[in-house]
Amino acid sequence: MTTAETTKTPAALGPRALAWRRRRASAARFWKEYRRHRAGVFGLAALVLFALVALTAPLTVGSDVSSVTDAPGRPLESPSGHFPLGTDQFGRNLLGLVIWGSRVSLLVGLLAAVLSVAIGAVIGITAGHFRGWYATVMMRVTDWFLVMPTLVLAIALATVMSRSLGTIVLAIGVTTWPTTARLVRAQTLAVESRPYIERAKALGGGHWHIMSRHVLPNVMPLVLAQTTLIISSAILAEATLAFLGLGDPTVVSWGGLLQDAREAGAVSSGDWWYLVPPGVAIAVVALAFTLCGRAVESVLNPRLGVSR
Amino acid sequence: MNTQDQHGRGRTGPRPRRARLLAATGAAALVLASGLATPAASAAPQARAAQGAQAQEAAKAQKDDKSGGKVLTVAVAQSVDSLSPFLAVKLVSTSINRLMYEYLTNYDPKDAHAIPGLATKWEASPDKLTWTYTIRNTKWSDGQPVTAEDAAWTFNKMMTDEGAATANGSFVGNFEKVTAPSPTQLVIKLKKPQATMTALDVPIVPKHVWEKVTDFSKFNNDKSFPIVGDGPFVLTDYKADSYVRLKANKDFWRGAPKFDELVFRYYKDQDAAVAALRKGEVSFVAGSPSLTPAQAASLKSDKNIHVNEGPGRRFYALATNPGAQAKNGTKFGDGDPSLLDERVRHALFMAVDRKAIVDKVFQGHAVEGQGYIPPRFSTYFWKPSSGQELAYDPAKAGQLLDEAGYKKNSDGKRVGKDGKPLNYRVLCHATDPNDKAVGKYLQEWWAKLGIGITLDCLDNVTDPWLAGKYDLAFDGWSVNPDPDFVLSIHTCDARPQTPKDTGATDNFICDKAYDDLYAKQLAEYDPAKRADLVKQMESRLYDLGYMNVMAYPNAVEAYRTDQIKSITTMPSSAGNIYGQDGYWSWWSAVPADSGDSSDGSSSTGVVIGIVAGVVVLVGLAVLFTVRRRATAEDRE
Repeated sequence: MTTAETTKTPAALGPRALAWRRRRASAARFWKEYRRHRAGVFGLAALVLFALVALTAPLTVGSDVSSVTDAPGRPLESPSGHFPLGTDQFGRNLLGLVIWGSRVSLLVGLLAAVLSVAIGAVIGITAGHFRGWYATVMMRVTDWFLVMPTLVLAIALATVMSRSLGTIVLAIGVTTWPTTARLVRAQTLAVESRPYIERAKALGGGHWHIMSRHVLPNVMPLVLAQTTLIISSAILAEATLAFLGLGDPTVVSWGGLLQDAREAGAVSSGDWWYLVPPGVAIAVVALAFTLCGRAVESVLNPRLGVSR
Repeated sequence: MNTQDQHGRGRTGPRPRRARLLAATGAAALVLASGLATPAASAAPQARAAQGAQAQEAAKAQKDDKSGGKVLTVAVAQSVDSLSPFLAVKLVSTSINRLMYEYLTNYDPKDAHAIPGLATKWEASPDKLTWTYTIRNTKWSDGQPVTAEDAAWTFNKMMTDEGAATANGSFVGNFEKVTAPSPTQLVIKLKKPQATMTALDVPIVPKHVWEKVTDFSKFNNDKSFPIVGDGPFVLTDYKADSYVRLKANKDFWRGAPKFDELVFRYYKDQDAAVAALRKGEVSFVAGSPSLTPAQAASLKSDKNIHVNEGPGRRFYALATNPGAQAKNGTKFGDGDPSLLDERVRHALFMAVDRKAIVDKVFQGHAVEGQGYIPPRFSTYFWKPSSGQELAYDPAKAGQLLDEAGYKKNSDGKRVGKDGKPLNYRVLCHATDPNDKAVGKYLQEWWAKLGIGITLDCLDNVTDPWLAGKYDLAFDGWSVNPDPDFVLSIHTCDARPQTPKDTGATDNFICDKAYDDLYAKQLAEYDPAKRADLVKQMESRLYDLGYMNVMAYPNAVEAYRTDQIKSITTMPSSAGNIYGQDGYWSWWSAVPADSGDSSDGSSSTGVVIGIVAGVVVLVGLAVLFTVRRRATAEDRE
């Protein structure tokens, strides 16, 4: 799928069908490669599991689980048959809360990563394509964001804007894009130096055509791998911001649960069941995304080497 | 009755958050990192191990301290705003000022009636407009005698210099003239009668030191140590957000304190403070504003720790924006217009189950809210009669809203006069976990009523608060034995002159009937009649529905019995220790004989630390070998 040239094909098939067949083949090839990365498969399995849990949460636990007025238990009950992970300070079922919280954590992680990579890709491609003063300005802006401590910047953004999920997504998205921008720009420069780009230009291809039809498909693998990698750091960032009390206090998320636990004094009173499940959940999901991202990266970019 | 008691109330709030953030970031990183490294192992042992290591260092430091004598260490979280008695308004600062400087009068620890302090006795002229105080023969810590001239100079400075009136100006607003005809006689002439003359909470400062100060609005009294004073302790060292160190004043007229040194050490994280108490690193933790139920319950099981619970001085309320207005008549802010309707306020009031808040959020460590002044001050405590009470009744609340014209639309949401669904912004303090917890309950209760809320939990609520840009807000004030101050903050006069100024007002309430009662009580010298007037004011405030007092939180604090043998609470039977209306607790604290008893527990900490470290290492080793193997396979 990388270049316009194709191998000889039976003339009976139309161009569309041909393209589909080629895509199917490359997907199969991708999956065959991917399967060889055991860690990647493990990460994917974990992700599928978490996605299923999050998507079916309305059926399994329901939004009532986060209600404080109808909390079923007493405050901070230790794990028992009735409450497998105990209860929180309001007497809510912690297992249910961890399941319900996965929705917010995953959603914010995904959206923030998509936003971050989208910004990074747009800046990277345009900077790589246009060169000149535009590229210089863009890359200096990127450098500026790169040297800014991400967490501090995100905290500052989350503080000045209203408390909501959108704010958190935005705060993470606009602070984590510089690495993607640099990666994409480097790849764009490499792609644009290939002869067929020159050919396309000679045939009258404009900026938009070159960027969308030739450069974008070529940097896509990189962008995909980068997205998967950034999701894990976005989930961590979301948890950190919520833990620092910058999230929406009425929304249940893993970081928010950790924050609640800390504020209820669960650390010093040894109520481990309030702290450990959300912490482990964050760690496992972040790990799973990282494993997947690494595997995708090494499949799509053989030059990275097998050990990644 | 002075601004000192603003702790609790968020507006005072810019409690420096950076240190806390950093600490929290560290903690978060720790939890997350340990989770990442060993997904199977729990995060808790590591955190505990880190605490153990910290405590050991601190214990070492404390041993060094001990070489100088008996040290009482208190864990605090609130930052000192200023050590200058003319500027300090936060609880921690005013408490420290109490220890540094003697006031004219003090409050009895048993029942809080006025007793002699720097003044040995006082009397008023028949028209109650001239008050004569006899000043005690005592010395400043630099050897100079304390005279009436010092007191006169302090008051005159506050009357003439606006910078010096910042914190306690309300006391002298009604003073006509203050003189010192002899070194032991102080005479204060009033313009109008003032009921608070035996409760002047103003630290008297040494004139010979303070007359050199040029700008009182900037001088923070933290440059040259030790700071000259005449209280039970002398401040010897201070580092912002790190520690405040005080030495016992051996010549204090009431008797020297039993501890040689008193140190306020900063713990921005309450869990860290509790851990420090467990390790014996600190002797006392008050919590900010109090220990959580979980912490109190777990500390109770520790045999060397006593958990002290007393009725609090604070009320915990929900304040309504009554449409902010300055004294010059300019309206500002953007409070929801529907809240100007008393029926709406009453409906909101009635949809709050105060009993549930006490049971669930405070878990019994509070008393259900009724009138404005907490029951601890029995003279002024008032509660609504059964006919007047706005008890929990969601059905009736719904009716009231219907009557007021706020009907439900097809989605079940109440619609405002502008056709949009009602949604109130509730200002809450990010630093107070109770605000967030109660906010969750409010959200569900009011959602049933058809009203939405947005919880705005901020570190700094002062800005939107002063600008009137909120609909409802969590509010709380500590009340002094004399309620004048907390009553004054709801008068029309307390509002800012223009929208740009800062007034003493709490939430812009202005009600003529209330103001008339306020003026009457201030001029009333008969205690029974004054108490009756104060109760009428509380009744009026309750009916207005601007202040929904939800609870009176208890003071829940803990100290180590192997370091402190005894300590005076206020009131002495079942009272609080930190933030008293006097210096009784720290002045009276008796050190315990036993030495360091924390060795056992800190060695457990070390063991846990080593175990956690080993687990992490094994985890890493496993991960490493797995990866090595993977690469080896791939190479083939």
